[in-house]
Amino acid sequence: MRFFRLVILACAVSGTIVACGSGESNVESGNRLGYLHYGNGAEPQGLDPHVVTGVPENHIVRALFEGLAVKNPKTLEPEPGVAERWDISDDGTVYTFHLNPQARWSNGETMTASDYVWSWHRALHPDTGSLYAYMLYPVVNAEAYSKREITDFDAVGVKALDDQTLQVTLNAPTPYFLQLMDHYSTFAVHPETVLTHGKMTDRFTPWTRVGSIVSNGPFTLEEWSLNRRIIIKKSEHYWDRENVSLNGVYFYPTENVVSEERMFRAEQLHYTQVVPLDKIPDYRSQDKSPYIQAPYLGTYYYLINTDRPPVDDVLVRRALSYALDRDTLTRTVLQNTAIPAYSITPPDTLGYNPPKLFDYDPEKARALLAEAGYPNGEGWPGLEITYNTQEAHRKIAVAVQQMWKRELNIDITISNQEWKVYLNSVSQREFQVARRGWIGDYVDANNFLDLFITDGGNNNTGYANDIYDDIILNLAPKAKTREERYALFYKAESMMMDEMPIIPIYTYTSKHLIHPSVEGIYPNLMDSLNLKYVTLHPERRLNSEIN
Amino acid sequence: MSTDQMAHLTDAEDGASLWHDAWLRLRKNRAAVTGGAILLVMVVLAILTPWIAPYGYEAQNLDLGATPPSAAHWLGTDIFGRDLLTQILYGGRISLAVGFIATAVALVIGVTWGAIAGYVGGRVDSVMMRFVDILYALPFMIFIILLMVVFGRNILLLFLAIGAVEWLTMARIMRTQVQSLRQQEFVEAAVSLGLSPFAIIFKHIIPNALGPIIVYTTLTIPSVMLLEAFLSFLGLGIQPPQTSWGLLISYGAETMEEYPWLLIFPGMALTVTLFSLNFLGDGLRDALDVRGSKD
Repeated sequence: MRFFRLVILACAVSGTIVACGSGESNVESGNRLGYLHYGNGAEPQGLDPHVVTGVPENHIVRALFEGLAVKNPKTLEPEPGVAERWDISDDGTVYTFHLNPQARWSNGETMTASDYVWSWHRALHPDTGSLYAYMLYPVVNAEAYSKREITDFDAVGVKALDDQTLQVTLNAPTPYFLQLMDHYSTFAVHPETVLTHGKMTDRFTPWTRVGSIVSNGPFTLEEWSLNRRIIIKKSEHYWDRENVSLNGVYFYPTENVVSEERMFRAEQLHYTQVVPLDKIPDYRSQDKSPYIQAPYLGTYYYLINTDRPPVDDVLVRRALSYALDRDTLTRTVLQNTAIPAYSITPPDTLGYNPPKLFDYDPEKARALLAEAGYPNGEGWPGLEITYNTQEAHRKIAVAVQQMWKRELNIDITISNQEWKVYLNSVSQREFQVARRGWIGDYVDANNFLDLFITDGGNNNTGYANDIYDDIILNLAPKAKTREERYALFYKAESMMMDEMPIIPIYTYTSKHLIHPSVEGIYPNLMDSLNLKYVTLHPERRLNSEIN
Repeated sequence: MSTDQMAHLTDAEDGASLWHDAWLRLRKNRAAVTGGAILLVMVVLAILTPWIAPYGYEAQNLDLGATPPSAAHWLGTDIFGRDLLTQILYGGRISLAVGFIATAVALVIGVTWGAIAGYVGGRVDSVMMRFVDILYALPFMIFIILLMVVFGRNILLLFLAIGAVEWLTMARIMRTQVQSLRQQEFVEAAVSLGLSPFAIIFKHIIPNALGPIIVYTTLTIPSVMLLEAFLSFLGLGIQPPQTSWGLLISYGAETMEEYPWLLIFPGMALTVTLFSLNFLGDGLRDALDVRGSKD
């Protein structure tokens, strides 16, 4: 028994999912056979585009499915996907999509406009409970339908004019609407397949299993071994299959970033989701480094459950935020791989800059805490930070814990949870302070600000403010000019940050190790990757061993 | 010898000479004495840690970051700029406490359970030992995770949970000891004198089985410390900023290529302690082996 434990320990220490294979590495065999080996962070919760929410899910779903318009991987401008072209009415509220006649489901059936009507019905139906239903709220009556205010889906502004023509009517001109068509919550699913395995609105039915799933993207699902790997294969029916270079992709759940990096070094992966912070200086110093860092449309913050004491008191929330030395944190623990954040929207999001209402000020923090009734931490009831198990989150939590202890003399406990448990705790609001990151779904401040509308699916803080809701949902979309719209955003964001339902910590950068044989993965603000464009060049090898 | 004396004096006299012999034999075993001395030093250091630690165990110096051993920080610092020597000292408090407390829990439950099963025998014995078999069959990780989920994470519970897993072997050893002892004349004599089974077990049988118990105890402590290291490694043990050798090693292992000292020094502390315990355990086993010396 004891020996067995030691063996487990030894394996865990060396982190070797790798050492089993012999001879040819994954990268070598992948380059030979045209398969990309992709470190995907975590095991996906599921593959149903209208149900899932995470980043690991996004990578796979966007390889299996394709939207009406897709983002160009370099410029992020919309380009034809399932729709070969589209017309926009002069007032900017009516979009007419002309579907590509060659667009096929992976079972060979032609895609029709009515598939989209059916799918958007599903995505918006309150029983489906899609957390991203709000992505379609720009569409006329979509929000009312999703909130059961109306029950007739025919009133919603999406119509199939004929098999190839989809007409969408919006409430107001929405500058980012085409970007939304590349978000998985607006993707079409195959109606018959979904209905074979349950009702339209059922969640987590077996329709997404291998053998059942019918998708419309450049790849199809080939194998799903739980917690081991997911294999996708080039689709035979995809309309643009001539331009798909890869024969397939292996996705690995790589929750442990340290072993992920080791897998990369052992040439078991072409691409890592992240890079361990301690390794970055080493990789930075290499010639022809596989380390790629780019600014990223995402904010790392701590969610606060505003119903739980002691953080139900806005004074306490402000004190915590003032006591956080973000500059030191990003410079030291994060090794200059992040930018300090003082609000939810990342700086310069298509020209919009968020307000900065506060800065690191321990004196002020102590005064606020005293005002809240805990002078010098006396009578402090304790506070727990919850984070999902990952080395980087632990480091930040430990540093934050100590900063709060030092500046405010308050005790903080920290606890880690596995990803699915963590997601559950956050959505059930079973936490006091929880680590959260928000990655933009499209390049627009609206994408960050509409998180905090009352009872928003990803609000989770209990923040509710009618004026805020009104600005984000009604006034801003109707703004005539960009300046007017941004001014409204600025006002709303200032209001929200004054209440401090979140503690912003930093703005992300994307960090990957990419094997030199891989081409077609471009650094961009969205860290958006379209596997369709990826090509492999076996002759390019990894530079050298890292010591 | 009068019957009166039998109940009290025989044990005491024989016991005293047995312990004395054992002590003499143990002293000759240099490895065991060294091990014992090192352990003593470790325990004293652990007790005195709050007064002798060079820095506060939570004190971070983010701008310093991870530095190799230096005059200011004898064993270097971790990525938060915390002094590693301080971390090891505080970690030792937890690791040693887990070792001793969890073992004590295992000892109390195991000895009592095994002694009762062995002494009463028959159907009671069968039921009690089948219960032990069932617990043996349960994967211990699942058992501990369940305990953590139901009762939440705290250090005392961790001690109890580990103890609750480790008592099984102790119970089996004790039962066999008792089964052989209860056939012996002094137990029959005690029975015929009308002593209660409770008194017989605790006054006569357990003292005579102390040798194997002590030996097994010294072997349990290292295995419990390894178990704590393993659980903390998985995030089921203690939570930051508290630390233990197991946690220090697990964090050190993640950055062993950049900052090897973060793995080497905590690893050394754990290794030296485990070696000491094993040597002491070996020495005690030899010293207390009654058959080897008395016959």
